[in-house]
Amino acid sequence: MTMNKPLAKISWRRTINSIPVYLAFIVFTILVLLPVYWMTRSAFAVSTDLIKLPLVYFPQPTLRNFATLLEQVPFDLYLRNSLLFALSTALITLLVSYLAAYAFARIRFPGSGVLLWILLLTMALPDIGTIVPLYQILKTLHLSDSIAGITLILTSTLTPFTVWVLVSFIKQVPYEIEEAAILDGASLPQILWHILLPVTVPGLVTMGLINFVNAWNNLLYPLSFTTSPSAKTLSVAITEIYAGFSPWGKPWELIMAVGVTMTVPIVILVLLSQRSIVRGLTGGAIK
Amino acid sequence: MDKAMNIPKGEGTPTTTLSWTSLSGITRRRYLLFILLVAPAFLLRLTTAAYPILQTIYLGFTNLSILKGTNDFVGLDNYVAMGSNIGVRSATGFTIVFILATTILDLMIGMMIALLLNTNFRGLTFARTINLIPWAIPTIVAGYAFRWLLDDQFGLLPFWVTQLTGLRPAIFINPLASQIAVILVHAWKDAPFMAIILLAGMQGIPEDLYDAARVDGANAWQRFWGLTVPLIMPLTITMGLFRLVWSLGSFDLVYGLTFGGPGVATSVLALQVFREGILFFKFGFASAISVILLILVAIIGVVGLWLFRKSEVTY
Repeated sequence: MTMNKPLAKISWRRTINSIPVYLAFIVFTILVLLPVYWMTRSAFAVSTDLIKLPLVYFPQPTLRNFATLLEQVPFDLYLRNSLLFALSTALITLLVSYLAAYAFARIRFPGSGVLLWILLLTMALPDIGTIVPLYQILKTLHLSDSIAGITLILTSTLTPFTVWVLVSFIKQVPYEIEEAAILDGASLPQILWHILLPVTVPGLVTMGLINFVNAWNNLLYPLSFTTSPSAKTLSVAITEIYAGFSPWGKPWELIMAVGVTMTVPIVILVLLSQRSIVRGLTGGAIK
Repeated sequence: MDKAMNIPKGEGTPTTTLSWTSLSGITRRRYLLFILLVAPAFLLRLTTAAYPILQTIYLGFTNLSILKGTNDFVGLDNYVAMGSNIGVRSATGFTIVFILATTILDLMIGMMIALLLNTNFRGLTFARTINLIPWAIPTIVAGYAFRWLLDDQFGLLPFWVTQLTGLRPAIFINPLASQIAVILVHAWKDAPFMAIILLAGMQGIPEDLYDAARVDGANAWQRFWGLTVPLIMPLTITMGLFRLVWSLGSFDLVYGLTFGGPGVATSVLALQVFREGILFFKFGFASAISVILLILVAIIGVVGLWLFRKSEVTY
């Protein structure tokens, strides 16, 4: 009996104290989700429902806009290009970075610390700052207007951060396992593939996901270096649909439909692997 | 045995067990192996980062233009021309306002979100999950989604404003309103990422420090300003610097939300480089603007290092 009263008092005060927290939570949720709701609502509506006043909050859902996109632009081609660009960039970046990260984490080399620092320093460079020479380089290599060209450039851009994070992942693996393998006469490819790869899978998956998201979302390189539908990505397609129809008003239902198409796979990927991604994003910055 | 000699020795490895690594031939092979492994990464960076920087600096002194067909060394002409180019002048001013405002907002809102996500409440997992959405959405898509959300005729937010006040806000024909919109939408996109980093920093602070402060009678407010803020200050400054540099190169959001408009009110240097270089093929002039960007990065770097040193000495 004597215990009940203070306990009730505490839980009552807790409720009062938590009100600001829940208010902040509600405001935060609304702010984050409002544009997402607006985009989704518009992507699945017929255009006439979007220009009614007062506004229609939940128009009759339809898939018509996606059908229109397939008819009027090579939407399936853009989707394929985006996937190809994102997948190849993510995989090649992993390969290049994994080799370099192994060297930085495990091989003693005079000045390797400085070399890693120089590699990271190139991250400070704004991508747009070298766009003109990159354009010329791709022209010279006959790689302009191709997925291969933009993959090459973006792979290079994403490599420093990936190396940085992978170095810290590899360093967390105890060296004893490799040492034992070395004494057993394992070669370097064997060590990288059979010993180190299985234990660094979480790190590789993390950076693979982050780089996939980066490439899928990238606008600058496809917009600058591709001109034909066989190389353009969804990010370029959305800018063209926005720009193309301007005299008659924007086809917002189509723009938002492309937006949803670009957002859904990425958001699903991120929500399924949020822990892994957060670890990757903070892996380099913390510690 | 020969195969085993291929294998490098790592840092922090006990050197006693494998004494053969001290042999000079082995050392040479170890160096060779290191070079082979880092070669792809460094070749990529040399050809698509180091060389392009030098080339950009060089092109900035030429009038190379694909459409005009000119390609001569013109000294500082491009830099002189920038002084009278309204687009570049306006973009320089707004770029500086933009990077400072977005960085400060990012840090403040990011800190607020991080504090929320560091509190225990029902819905925490949900909040942490949706916090990743703004980071994950393609920037160009966020730009268009907000353009539509803020549309003066059929956008949700102006519609609400009209319902509440009777006013009819038209954001994208007003220079100041457009500038504010660019800055706020940028914060919407990037503050959650900042929050993720700051949250990780907060979680790295040992809990017994807070317990000790509680015993000493410090309230939540005092614990935040006396413990949390100073302890994550180096991280905050580092992230602030990164954000300044990243915002300098930020291009997608302005491209989608305003395309620099109305007029050139929200144009940033990054957009000017794209316009002059990729749309008008004025490679020389675009490169000169890029050089201005590189100089700004260098200034931020120097100021940043100084700030960082200071913050480390103080705490």
